[in-house]
Amino acid sequence: MSALLLALLLQASPAHAPEAAASPAPKAEHAAEATAPHVPADAHATDAGAPEHGAEAGHGDPATVIMHHATDGPLKVGPFVLPSKHLVFLFAAAALMILIARLALRSYRGGKIPRGLGAAVEGVVLFIRDEIAEPNIGHDDGRRFTPLLCSFFSFILVAALLGLMPFSATSTGNLAVTMGLALVSFAAQQYAGISKYGVAGHFHNLIPPGLPAWLLPIMIPVEILSMFTKPFALMIRLFANMLAGHMVITTLLLLIALMGQISWIGGVVMAPVSIALSLFIMLLEVLVAFIQAYIFTLLSAIFIGMYAHPAH
Amino acid sequence: MDPKVMAYFAAGIGAGLTIIGGAAGIGRLAAAAMEGIARQPNAAGDIRGAMIVAAGLIEGVTFFSLIVTILLAIK
Repeated sequence: MSALLLALLLQASPAHAPEAAASPAPKAEHAAEATAPHVPADAHATDAGAPEHGAEAGHGDPATVIMHHATDGPLKVGPFVLPSKHLVFLFAAAALMILIARLALRSYRGGKIPRGLGAAVEGVVLFIRDEIAEPNIGHDDGRRFTPLLCSFFSFILVAALLGLMPFSATSTGNLAVTMGLALVSFAAQQYAGISKYGVAGHFHNLIPPGLPAWLLPIMIPVEILSMFTKPFALMIRLFANMLAGHMVITTLLLLIALMGQISWIGGVVMAPVSIALSLFIMLLEVLVAFIQAYIFTLLSAIFIGMYAHPAH
Repeated sequence: MDPKVMAYFAAGIGAGLTIIGGAAGIGRLAAAAMEGIARQPNAAGDIRGAMIVAAGLIEGVTFFSLIVTILLAIK
């Protein structure tokens, strides 16, 4: 976070320099210059637009800062430059999750009652088994899919909380990562149906029983489509939630720099307000991390249950 | 009008409309859930769980359009 603030301060200072220093000059400016000779009447319009150039150049900067913060990029660790920070934190989250699971398993050695970390992890696993898997998938199938749902929950939670650390990135704020998760969820949904009823039975179950024959041309495409939109919605929901919080925090902190461009008093007045607001959003992000992990797991369980127990 | 100006304009209007829709949906949902809890406090846990799922679904759709507006403003 302090690195971000430093970057913002550095970002803010050259904006006072002449317009030539504002490097990401909007392309629209050039376009306007190019079209101006053709239509003399536009000269007035471009003159009127001139005072806005500063504002527009200032607007180009926040977008690049926000995108730089939210999107994937190289990670510099001392002399090493790693190609993708999301990849690094993806594996960091996975490794942390495996480490926690192994440490939790240790307290079960020798048939003892688990204590400490083991008891905490057991609470989470029992919650997923009893509150998410069994009510939505059914008793036997629910127990079969509990390990997968536990992996979803803990990975999404760990990745999101890891992303709130300073100098880190949220790997689930990357569309490719959430697509991977959604593909696993999709495969599990299809496996749940196919392993119980066979391929033909699985697709036959998509048609609700007692449906009039003339509705079939409508219902078959709709059901096939909804098979794919379910994981697609899971993918977009997780990605957008993880991305949005970080964008809001960055935007709030950028307000300091934007106000500071107008006058230094603006920056001084804005700083405590921005920091308080971004702290609030940061705490909200902790809540969102838990809620999104819960929702992804719960919706996966509901969809698996839909294919494992189709309408009778 | 300059296409870039129009894109910013559309992004601003779109973000506002998105929030109106999302707020209306989640507001109705929360009102109904609270009424349900007030009438049947025993079922508070079940109602809360169902409310969170429905809120997640509404939020998901809202984020679709929010991403469109962000892309309009940034790209």
